[in-house]
Amino acid sequence: MLRLIGRRLLLMIPTLILVSILIFALAEVFVPGSVGRSILGPYVTEEQVQLLNERLGADRPIVVRYLSWAGGFVTGDWGDSALLKVPVRPLVMEAFWHSLLLAGFALVLIVPASIALGVFAGLRRDSVLDRTITVSSLSMTVIPEFVSGVVLLYVFAVWLKWLPVTALPPDGSPFYTRLYYLILPAIPLMFLELGYIARMARVGTVQVLSMPYIRTAVLKGLPRSRVVFGHVLRNAMVPTVTVIGSQVGWLLGGLVVVEKLFNYPGIGRLMVEAALAHDIPLLEASVLLVAVVYMIANLIADIVVALLNPRIRMGG
Amino acid sequence: MASAKFEREYGQHLVEQVLKGKMTRRQLLVRASVFGFSLTAAGQLLAACGGDEDGTEASPSAAGMPEPVLGGHLKWIGPAPITEPDPVTIYDQGGIVLVYQFLEYLIDLNNDNSLRPKLAESWTPNDTVDVWTFKLRSGVTFNDGSPFGAEDVVTTMERVLDPDNGSGALSQLNGVLSPGGIKAVDDLTVEFHLDKPFADFPYMVSSGNYNTAILPRTYKGDIIKNPVGTGPFLLDQYVPKQKATFKKNPTYWGKDEQGRQLPYLDTTEYTMVEDNAAQNLQLQSGAQDLQPQTVFQGAQALFQDPNLRVDIYPGTGIREVAFNIEKEPWSGASGKQLRQAVAYCLDRVAINKALYDGRSNLGFDTFWDPTVFAGSPAVPEERAQDYEKAKALLSEAGMADGMKIKLTFAKYLENPQLAQLIQEQCKPAGITVELDQLSYDAYYAGDDDDYYGTTPWLNAAMSITEWGSRPAPGIYAAAMLLPDAVWSSSHWDNKDFVDTFNQYESTADEGTRMELATKLSQLQQDDTPILVPFFITQLRTQKKNVYGVEGPGSFYCDLSRCFIAQA
Repeated sequence: MLRLIGRRLLLMIPTLILVSILIFALAEVFVPGSVGRSILGPYVTEEQVQLLNERLGADRPIVVRYLSWAGGFVTGDWGDSALLKVPVRPLVMEAFWHSLLLAGFALVLIVPASIALGVFAGLRRDSVLDRTITVSSLSMTVIPEFVSGVVLLYVFAVWLKWLPVTALPPDGSPFYTRLYYLILPAIPLMFLELGYIARMARVGTVQVLSMPYIRTAVLKGLPRSRVVFGHVLRNAMVPTVTVIGSQVGWLLGGLVVVEKLFNYPGIGRLMVEAALAHDIPLLEASVLLVAVVYMIANLIADIVVALLNPRIRMGG
Repeated sequence: MASAKFEREYGQHLVEQVLKGKMTRRQLLVRASVFGFSLTAAGQLLAACGGDEDGTEASPSAAGMPEPVLGGHLKWIGPAPITEPDPVTIYDQGGIVLVYQFLEYLIDLNNDNSLRPKLAESWTPNDTVDVWTFKLRSGVTFNDGSPFGAEDVVTTMERVLDPDNGSGALSQLNGVLSPGGIKAVDDLTVEFHLDKPFADFPYMVSSGNYNTAILPRTYKGDIIKNPVGTGPFLLDQYVPKQKATFKKNPTYWGKDEQGRQLPYLDTTEYTMVEDNAAQNLQLQSGAQDLQPQTVFQGAQALFQDPNLRVDIYPGTGIREVAFNIEKEPWSGASGKQLRQAVAYCLDRVAINKALYDGRSNLGFDTFWDPTVFAGSPAVPEERAQDYEKAKALLSEAGMADGMKIKLTFAKYLENPQLAQLIQEQCKPAGITVELDQLSYDAYYAGDDDDYYGTTPWLNAAMSITEWGSRPAPGIYAAAMLLPDAVWSSSHWDNKDFVDTFNQYESTADEGTRMELATKLSQLQQDDTPILVPFFITQLRTQKKNVYGVEGPGSFYCDLSRCFIAQA
């Protein structure tokens, strides 16, 4: 397995190079305007924009600019944000840690709850409880986060005033206060993910329950709790873990709406703003960081799956 | 105070205009302010006119204002600056409201677009209105201790006029002021030698032209690292995309009428939030005290919130619906009739009701509108929906069976709703409007090799462009209706209008100006290069115990007299 992990880690390098080229090209080709225009706005003359683009080196051919950026990046120089005039590395890392905290907190809420609901529904297949859990969790999944977010904010922050209206506490707040501020933004994410993961857990449970070894375990007279925790759960989790792994990347870099609504300085919002403004160093650093996390999360999911089910041989 | 001779002659002229019924008392105050009259001098003019109305409008905040409370901390909210703010290049609300806290202009705008002396104590034109002399306020220092003087004004203006510095003010001053035209006569006197006579010039060095904030002569383009200015607050902390905090400038020159040191507040914290709904929720939750600009869409809950007060100001911002007269069907001999036909399809009252709950002022396709710009003549024709007339015009233009047009706009603010209303209202006349909705960035994007020749906002056949407040009709016209205007979406080139406009800006004679403005208004309406269906009222939301927030339009927020009263 170690060799396999090493191989997967090595594969990340060409993948990241490809991602960086793609992002560079997409931002240049599909996002209208230039960094000079983003900085100076629509009310200046072409000549003024060209002068600034020249000064920033943004008028050079795209290949030259890419190589210049890539050369700096691999040597640890992430460059400066053209728009915000600050070094990219601390900006991206701060946003990344913010996103990591929110994603981690959301996962802590989502994973146990969705697995419990899914397994519970699977164990009582076709019962009223099963249908209630399935329908209600799937219904929550289809509510866009900006809708659930606004409703939650209005009810819990504006009306009842139980929870803060933003996701970022005052400077110097202790860690538990930071988590308290993250409760409200985590709930729309829970709505979105709960139904998806619970469904996978339910399907896995139902499939495992129909396996002969479960029938054998029951007929052997094993207590139900041992059957569920010792045999059903372990095997039912394989598809669920894979799904959770694939969602980590989204939870980290795809929360643009929630970050905007709760005014949370995460990496998703940073990426969108950087892309729209042609702030290439900022965009590339953000995207590559999220890509690395995405790949590592999937690798970890694969390892966990292999550990859960020794019959699965990674890459085999 | 303006020079004694000029003040006497021009003051007498203004009084005569009022006595002859050619000007209202409010108009007198605005025009007197443009020519640098002090409040006392303007008051004396009003007294000379007789009557007892003072012609002034109390700001909404001033109504029932309690005694100011000294000290306190204000939490306010608005969008983040798009870039690191640089006063020379800023163009967005987030950047402008922030630098306004610690920088100042020569002149400030009042809520009614009259002018208020700030770093300039007075300003006076010569007889031909092409040289303006500004007397600067004495005893003012920058917050780093260096004295403020004429040299700072000269370097500030030369800086924005240098194309290498990328300032939007360059386009605004285009054809009016050129590099080398600013002279320091002495430490506290500056002369502006204009390229042509321009009676509205003081507006161009006011907070209405936001890149002209006065910077120290040593400024190196690093305002966030070295926030040196003469304003009432000091920048304490700036966290990009998150917040900015300010504390009172202990050496600020400003004092209130009772001699109390300004600003009243000790500290403020500006929270940067892009999303309007999120901003509104923060206000409703009580987490914020003030939102300098409130967008109409989604503001209903704020109006109904018992803990908040929404101030309404007579704004001059517009949504310009431009007909590109270089493109079909608006070009050619019948283009004028077609443009007028669209104008007569609009039910402006219904549009105002739908977009702004009826709270904005109606517009009639001319900038010279006395409802929003004091000193303007009556609008020649208050256009109303008239399908018979629209159909007749279409028929006259050989389009009796109707026509198909495309309307391009950015998905931004209320543009999509306005476009839909135009589409619906044109339909009964046989005009089919295809909606071409672009993202905000796509609408303002263009090829950098030929930005002005490719960007949709200046090249679409018909477009909607959002314009923030402008302090005078002449400023609007210079920006978009003259053939050399860099932001002309209509590409209108009417020689009669240009000649009349140049005469209008060349004279200080209010009677002549009024006659010329009437002609300009007629020409603009008749040719209809653009539609101006409304002038957008400005909203500002604050907690009910927050008072004294000043600054017209959406982008300026003067907190020097702001205070939080005891609850």
